[in-house]
Amino acid sequence: MTEAVRLAVDGIGKTFERRGKPPVEALRDIRMTIREGEFVSIVGASGSGKSTLLRIIDGLIAPSAGVVRVDGRPVSKPGRDRAMVFQQDSLLPWKTVAENVAYGLTLAKVPKAEAFATAQKFIDIAGLKGFEQHYPHQLSGGMRQRVNVARALAVDPEILLLDEPFAALDAQTREIMQTELLSIWQATGKTVLLITHQIDEAVFLSDRVIVFSARPGTIRREIPVPLPRPRDLELKRSAEFVSLVDTIWKLIEAEVRAGLKEE
Amino acid sequence: MARRLFEFLEQDTRTAAAARVLISTGAVLVVWQIVSMIVTNRLLLVPPAEVAVALAHEVADGAMWTNASATVTAVVTSFVVSVVIGVAIGLALASSRILSLTGGPVLSALNSVPIIALAPLFIAWLGLGFASKFVLVILVAVFPVVVTTEAGLRATDKPLIEAARSFNATPWQIFTTVTFPYALPFIVSGVRVAWARALVGIVVAEFFGSFAGFGYAILSASQTFDTARVLGYVIMLGAMGLLGSVLFAALEQRLAPWRQE
Ligand SMILES: Nc1ncnc2c1ncn2[C@@H]1O[C@H](COP(=O)(O)OP(=O)(O)OP(=O)(O)O)[C@@H](O)[C@H]1O
Ligand SMILES: [Mg+2]
Repeated sequence: MTEAVRLAVDGIGKTFERRGKPPVEALRDIRMTIREGEFVSIVGASGSGKSTLLRIIDGLIAPSAGVVRVDGRPVSKPGRDRAMVFQQDSLLPWKTVAENVAYGLTLAKVPKAEAFATAQKFIDIAGLKGFEQHYPHQLSGGMRQRVNVARALAVDPEILLLDEPFAALDAQTREIMQTELLSIWQATGKTVLLITHQIDEAVFLSDRVIVFSARPGTIRREIPVPLPRPRDLELKRSAEFVSLVDTIWKLIEAEVRAGLKEE
Repeated sequence: MARRLFEFLEQDTRTAAAARVLISTGAVLVVWQIVSMIVTNRLLLVPPAEVAVALAHEVADGAMWTNASATVTAVVTSFVVSVVIGVAIGLALASSRILSLTGGPVLSALNSVPIIALAPLFIAWLGLGFASKFVLVILVAVFPVVVTTEAGLRATDKPLIEAARSFNATPWQIFTTVTFPYALPFIVSGVRVAWARALVGIVVAEFFGSFAGFGYAILSASQTFDTARVLGYVIMLGAMGLLGSVLFAALEQRLAPWRQE
């Protein structure tokens, strides 16, 4: 763990101004650093500002306070050093799998042949071979999410930002996707920041889990995950794993309950 | 047997679609035939066979060709121009909040005025030639295109735009790769309505002022109580409407296959 700091989040705060309504403070003074090649997850109650933080890191929205740095450079807009997989389905329905995976490259004006060759590589990695000419509505939810991940990987970002990428999948598919994500991560050496509601998913995948408190989102605790790698699904039954999940669950349980009452 | 026929007709294939059109046309013909055997006043209704004879006669003496070319030329030109203008206005409204807020109410007021009733006025202003038909058809056909273009452009899924922005897309790239393709099927559905309206527009314009065209032929045939010819030309108009509707529906489905499934 001597690698350089890849992503630094320095005192980020975000308050949404709303017309005719009181402003919402979504994030307050978030500070974290992620090293090159590290896999970090954020867990927290619904509405604790996780997606907002990811959008700020991606450069889609500006923070109200603080600064995000990638390799020391402040972030002000989206860039090719970061790519995001969104919480909502965001594939272009009129484009094929191949065209969707190549989308980021074609926007960056990469020549067509090269863009599609690169796309093919990630289609293969994501296990979508043979589906290149399918349209998103012809795929299962799990396959669509793989296309999303492949599309983000195809632009060769340094940092992969994943916003609950597996939330819409059934439990079995999700577990398979988790192991696939791990092997892609191991093969590509990307730095990954993942948001999830599933505590076991966070523990299974990550080097560190960051626990958010509810609105305004602040970092409640950072929990290192000292479990050996490579990991397989067996690990989820080990005592160490279970106790880590339990610790994190206790940290957010109160806030989740409070959140439920609010709704 | 009946069940299998039903299943066949329900299919989403071209043969099934053609069969559906054939069956409904056939049903209309049968009902028509039966009714015309009950209603024997030939000024009110003539049976299908007589209408076919009248149509054949029109084709033989060249009147059909004169009328068809007058109507088709006028309606197609004005329709194409209304689609272009409609899309342009829709784009302008969708890209400017202020324009939409100020222009929107004016447009919807205009849209609810029965412009078709102004046909005599247009003919008084613009004469009996092409110009009056052109303007009248555009005025009746343009609104559905404007409305659906604006609505389609505004309807774009926010996550799709956000994904494009995340890949550093420029506003122009967002328009060409997300907003416009998303709006296209909406626009085509407006175009489909515009075609139907354009046909009504052209016939009314031809009623009031012209010396050729389906509208003119219908009016002059009805003045001589030639019901067979009236119905013959009405059928021609119906066929044009059906053709457009089938074509644009197919285009819509082709552009947005994900909406059907
Ligand atoms: N554009 C916006 N305008 C106003 N308020 C917003 C906006 N985006 C987010 N918020 C508010 O900020 C808070 C945090 O939202 P965010 O989507 O980041 O939460 P989250 O942790 O990702 O929740 P979930 O787990 O449900 O996805 C919420 O209260 C939300 O209503
Ligand atoms: Mg979220």
